[in-house]
Amino acid sequence: MSDDPLVRVDDLHKRYGDEEVLKGISFEMDRQDVQVLVGPSGSGKSTLLRCVNRLTEFQGGEITLDGTPVTEMDVDDLRRQVGMVFQDFNLFAHLTAKENIMLGPRRVLGKTEEEAAERALDELDRVGLAAQADSYPAELSGGQKQRVGIARALAMDPKLMLFDEPTSALDPELIGEVVEVMEDLAEGGMTMLVVTHEMGFARAAATDIMFLDQGRIVEHGPPERLFENPEHERTAQFLERLTRLHGETR
Amino acid sequence: MSAGEADGDADADAGGGVAPDARTAGPRRSRAGTLKYVAGAVLWGWVLLRWGNDWLGGVFVPRGQAFVPPATVAGLGDAIPVLAGVANGLAFAVHYLPNLMNAMWLTVVLTVVSITLGFPLAVALAAARSYGHYTGWAALGFVELFRGTPLLAQLFVLYYGLPWLPAFFRNLPFVGEGIVPAQAVWVAVVGFTLNSAAYQGEYIRGAIDSVDPGQLEAGRAVGLSKLGSVRYVVLPQALRYAIPGWTNELVYLIKYSSLAAFITVPELLYRAQAFASETYRYTELFVLAGVLYLGLVVTASSLMGYVEGRVAIPGLGNAEGR
Repeated sequence: MSDDPLVRVDDLHKRYGDEEVLKGISFEMDRQDVQVLVGPSGSGKSTLLRCVNRLTEFQGGEITLDGTPVTEMDVDDLRRQVGMVFQDFNLFAHLTAKENIMLGPRRVLGKTEEEAAERALDELDRVGLAAQADSYPAELSGGQKQRVGIARALAMDPKLMLFDEPTSALDPELIGEVVEVMEDLAEGGMTMLVVTHEMGFARAAATDIMFLDQGRIVEHGPPERLFENPEHERTAQFLERLTRLHGETR
Repeated sequence: MSAGEADGDADADAGGGVAPDARTAGPRRSRAGTLKYVAGAVLWGWVLLRWGNDWLGGVFVPRGQAFVPPATVAGLGDAIPVLAGVANGLAFAVHYLPNLMNAMWLTVVLTVVSITLGFPLAVALAAARSYGHYTGWAALGFVELFRGTPLLAQLFVLYYGLPWLPAFFRNLPFVGEGIVPAQAVWVAVVGFTLNSAAYQGEYIRGAIDSVDPGQLEAGRAVGLSKLGSVRYVVLPQALRYAIPGWTNELVYLIKYSSLAAFITVPELLYRAQAFASETYRYTELFVLAGVLYLGLVVTASSLMGYVEGRVAIPGLGNAEGR
């Protein structure tokens, strides 16, 4: 089983009404892979991410997690195994940082209050926010919120983490702290599927970069090749522009 | 936040909302606020003494009789002629208040029981309206039926149109004995509960819809079921948003409860009117009843203001957080 890829996406098609936003996407991810998705807005990156944990349903093709088609899994069980980090954080607004992280373990995994609290503090410590455990989301900066968002997903012990533009809603000076946490995660062996424009992160941490445009994969390969020697002129132009805009934020 | 916060003092601090201990810090009272608390303490101290006295068979004075004889109050006017008019008015009030108090007990029972029973029903209706398919249609039907027809007509149908309903309550133990009101009150409670649930449900639905959809999605993303996400993520936020609107409904219900008089419930306004037609002193008695209603309403809205402050969360529902 563990020789199989952790994630296999095979000829994925997704339509919103008449508009086809994903037109046959196929790729695989092994354990500990960090797959970065880039592409212009409307290219289908976020939709692809959301198909993996079925926040969006798809019409054609197949996605398997650990060999099981996600469409055959219980949807709550699937999401237990796949953590997600949102562009606008979506922290539970009525709960403190610690309680945000505890909710999943308490209500989904059935852990006790003490176990969940202990784990939450560990995760907060990992993202450098132990001191903010009792702060409410409104009292945290954007960067802190996103780190809590990451900690919340990690507390569920996911097999795979999905990042949907985790730094796009942040002020430039706050991006670094979030990217740092993500790089630590990647280094620690977490399997990650990341939609981002942070080319610094892509260069440093990505196993592969996938360039999506209009619902199709234009180019897919290791960062060195895509940055230094891309097959398509479009890829070169897009990556160059992203690097100029988002390359050196730290 | 919108209207419905006539009593700004209790949530003045919660409105600041940045300090983590905003929930535990006691409300800072203005002078007017202090006056209100003193007036409330005097009113309710006296009301409870009054009820206690009458329920326990006349501990201090015989049932229905004033603590201070009206004649004594009127006597003040003889002593100080300038105050004779005031003294006479007071004596009149003192004479009738004890009986109005027993009527006010019914008003309190009607309101408190109905709003309390209506609340869980309202939450279910609101959740169904926001998230349900077939249940959503059913909830919509319920809401339109009870909001769209006169409350008085609903009470008539329940009391006169369904004879088994009052009969059912009449046969329950304790009904009509001691402080437990008679069957007509419980029929009215059924009517108010259903009607109020429809209105409360609409306030709560509005609040649910104002919770960022990303909150539900994040709940689903950590593996909570839809029901679990609503229960643990959406509702705790929505119910906080709903407090001002819900308070409005509570205040309405206090006054609407007087419609129970039409199905023979001798509540506050009914009793005031009965005394008025005996004495022809309509103005005085309705002013007296009005003062008591005002006391109930200010108490209710102050309590809800206090609750709102207690459950306030920094950045949630405060002006600066939204």
